[in-house]
Amino acid sequence: MSTVPAFETPTGTNTGLSKGILAPMLRGVLWAAVGFLALNTLVTLVHPNVVHSFVTQVSATFGWIGALVGWMFAMGAWDAVIRPSFGFAANWTERATGWRKYFEYSTDHKVIGIQYLIFSLGGFLLAGLAAMFMRLQLMVDHMWFYQFPNAYLTTVGIHGTVMMFSFGTVIMVGGLGNYFIPMMIGSNKSAFPRLSGLSVWFLPFGYMTVIMSPLLGAWTTGWRGYQPLASQDGNGIIFYYLGVFAMLLSSLIVALNLTSTIIFNRAPGLRWSRLPMFAWGMLTVSILNIIWVPEILMTFILGLLAHIVPLPFFTAVGSPLTYLELFWLFGHPEVYIVVVPAFAMWQEIIPVMSRKSLFARQWGIMGLIFVMLLSGMVWAHHMFPTMQNKEILPFSFFTEMISIPTGFSYLAILGTLWNSKMRLNTPSILVLMSMFNFLIGGLTGLFLADPAVNFQIHDTFFVVGHFHYTIIGGMLFTFMAAMYYWLPKLSGRMYNDKWGMIGAVWVFLAFNATFIQFFIVGLRGMNRWVPVYPQYLQTMNFEISIFAFLLGAGFLYNVIYVIWVWNRGSVVNAENPWNGKTLEWYTASPTIGDNFKETPRVVGGFYDYGDDVPKHVVLEG
Amino acid sequence: MAEVLLFGGLWVVLSGLAEYALHPMATHFYIFTASNTAVDGQKAAAFIFMVALPVFIFVVLMLIYAPIRFRAKRGETGDSKVQRKHSKAFVLAWFSVSLVVNVFMFVHPTASAVEGYFNSIPLGSKSTAPDGQQPLEVDVVARQWEWVYSIPEYGLTQTVNADGNDTLYLPVGREIKFVLRSYDQSHYYDPQAYVIHSFWIPAFGIKTDVIPGLTRYEYVTPTVISSTQQNQMVRVQCAEVCGPGHPWMETNLHIVSPADFASWVKAQQKLEASS
Repeated sequence: MSTVPAFETPTGTNTGLSKGILAPMLRGVLWAAVGFLALNTLVTLVHPNVVHSFVTQVSATFGWIGALVGWMFAMGAWDAVIRPSFGFAANWTERATGWRKYFEYSTDHKVIGIQYLIFSLGGFLLAGLAAMFMRLQLMVDHMWFYQFPNAYLTTVGIHGTVMMFSFGTVIMVGGLGNYFIPMMIGSNKSAFPRLSGLSVWFLPFGYMTVIMSPLLGAWTTGWRGYQPLASQDGNGIIFYYLGVFAMLLSSLIVALNLTSTIIFNRAPGLRWSRLPMFAWGMLTVSILNIIWVPEILMTFILGLLAHIVPLPFFTAVGSPLTYLELFWLFGHPEVYIVVVPAFAMWQEIIPVMSRKSLFARQWGIMGLIFVMLLSGMVWAHHMFPTMQNKEILPFSFFTEMISIPTGFSYLAILGTLWNSKMRLNTPSILVLMSMFNFLIGGLTGLFLADPAVNFQIHDTFFVVGHFHYTIIGGMLFTFMAAMYYWLPKLSGRMYNDKWGMIGAVWVFLAFNATFIQFFIVGLRGMNRWVPVYPQYLQTMNFEISIFAFLLGAGFLYNVIYVIWVWNRGSVVNAENPWNGKTLEWYTASPTIGDNFKETPRVVGGFYDYGDDVPKHVVLEG
Repeated sequence: MAEVLLFGGLWVVLSGLAEYALHPMATHFYIFTASNTAVDGQKAAAFIFMVALPVFIFVVLMLIYAPIRFRAKRGETGDSKVQRKHSKAFVLAWFSVSLVVNVFMFVHPTASAVEGYFNSIPLGSKSTAPDGQQPLEVDVVARQWEWVYSIPEYGLTQTVNADGNDTLYLPVGREIKFVLRSYDQSHYYDPQAYVIHSFWIPAFGIKTDVIPGLTRYEYVTPTVISSTQQNQMVRVQCAEVCGPGHPWMETNLHIVSPADFASWVKAQQKLEASS
């Protein structure tokens, strides 16, 4: 085990693309531009192009493929995959230190994890800016910030798409999963390091595609990109389908890699019964990705073809509801892809902070697995107003039942808290806040699961409040908890708990003040997808916007503070400041190169506390 | 054990107080109800609210009580003295309660209330519908971006107000049968012109998606005389995004007495005859 290096030893001479004059990402952008121009020009020349414009919907599609190939080749595919495939020596070097390693090809799972954190955070900030623009427009009941409703609706689409596919789906899986899973299971590397090194570069390419979509034309469908409405949209919708395709391809590769890593790379003695909770979370979420991402990728191809050929799959002469069915078939598992890592993380942080054995651990694991299974059986509740009675009842049933396995995560945590020795600090407080928020998200789901009530609150701000409570409240607060928990591990530096706590309380208050009002304004008749609304709703929308700006500033505060600590914070006194038991705490902080010089042998559970518990890890030379 | 009893007592007291204090909120969840469907929905929402409230109080109380009561004192290190990894009673109670509450909520209000919604004789409408009267059929056509209403019983093909904007009057107390289609008579040759809309009257507590290629029905009995001018919840609003004109896809709605409705019909007939 200890002989397997963390990243591949560089081979060959440094003459390939990776040793050019330009920085790798700059070179990537250049090759992407070359690829786009080349294929776009070619297609424009051969395509019977009645509008005589240089960029058409067909040429943009092919040009995008050219750009993707150019970008991926420059970012490592050429040196690490294509050349060796033809028998030439692989040709890249990996820096062990310095910030530059995060902006070029790497096979080290820790570098890849941080690359995902960086690019995913980039997506979060851009999509967050889009949300601020939306709230600016909604401060007043008529058009003012935007001149055209199309521009507002495109912003809604960019906000939702980039948040979900580059942040929600990615940061805890591609980011924390890639970084910590090999460490937590006692391995020096992930199962497919070269593939994993490539996967991260699909992410920024994908969301920059979506963000640049207005260049091709407005699209009005929101994050669903849904047909038949999309059939009328401008060509920006093409960049929606293609951009999300690239982002989800990235997540699919992460899922394959993490699943294989958890199955095959576990340290001796790390039996399934001892698998860390976060690894259970990553395994269940990866299986969800492997099942459902290919389904939506296929749907996006159909949507794309319906637009550029055009094939009338989803218009009135086709089947207008089919796209929505296919989208939500993926779309509901997707929200559990976002939030299951959070459930797992609660059960990782709370035992450590409360110095108490995880309560009813097997029920916690069953919760994750049954949420995974049931999440594919509830999608149609997103479409109750399109349905008949006999079709609604089974979906309503499963929707209500999924709260039972979800509740098992609460069961495990509340049982652990009782009679514990709780350390109240930034990570543990953030977990408790997250559980409070997700509880509101879950209980408001009861109203939405009931068809009679659903018919009133569907497509209103009540729903918007509900899912922001589950996703920001559940996942984002837990991600923040995980960052404060693992910051000493990631950076070797410790934050000041007072400044961390200010960040936590700030976003908690601003978040609740913003989104609790979404429920009320929705009940009062505020519908979704509108830049303008009846005048009687203006006062409430105005104050919602004020709190939303405070929330945006709160997130910015936390981002800046964490980055500052990462670089300038005080160096940690102890390698294991929380006395955590999982294997990542048996590595250096921060770890450079190999995680484990000696192979860890696991001889006990990671979640067993008490003064008489014997040592659970033995390091072997 | 004393700890458990203290917590349980707190939970019961706080739940009782919350049920009492928030009862007005639960029973006014719909803000304004002007039809039998809205009244039914409001009842369902109030039921869910009152059942969910003790669950909410339990978890929130635990999230506050336990970390404070069992917090580590300053300078205190080491693991907790109590290391209980399982409790048959707690797990069994948790599992049973969550199963029973969920199944119960599915049976009532979900399954029972939804029956009425797709039925031509809605639950609870006996008192409001005059005997033997057929529902008043209102044909609704959704297009980008307009609601077009016609009432075949009185030969009205497109009801409008004095400014020529689409508008709808409904008689109070009579069951209405909305026939909903997504169709564009100005662009009948273009299949891409048809998209999904959603017919929503907030005060009626119900919305039905209007889907190209399908004819869908909605049965409602208005119960309160009101109008958009009096209460903005009484309006027809498209609720499913249907392009840039979506926010403006709304019309005024008037719920009037049968006598006022009859005179409005006469005025409309005269208007249509003159044009």
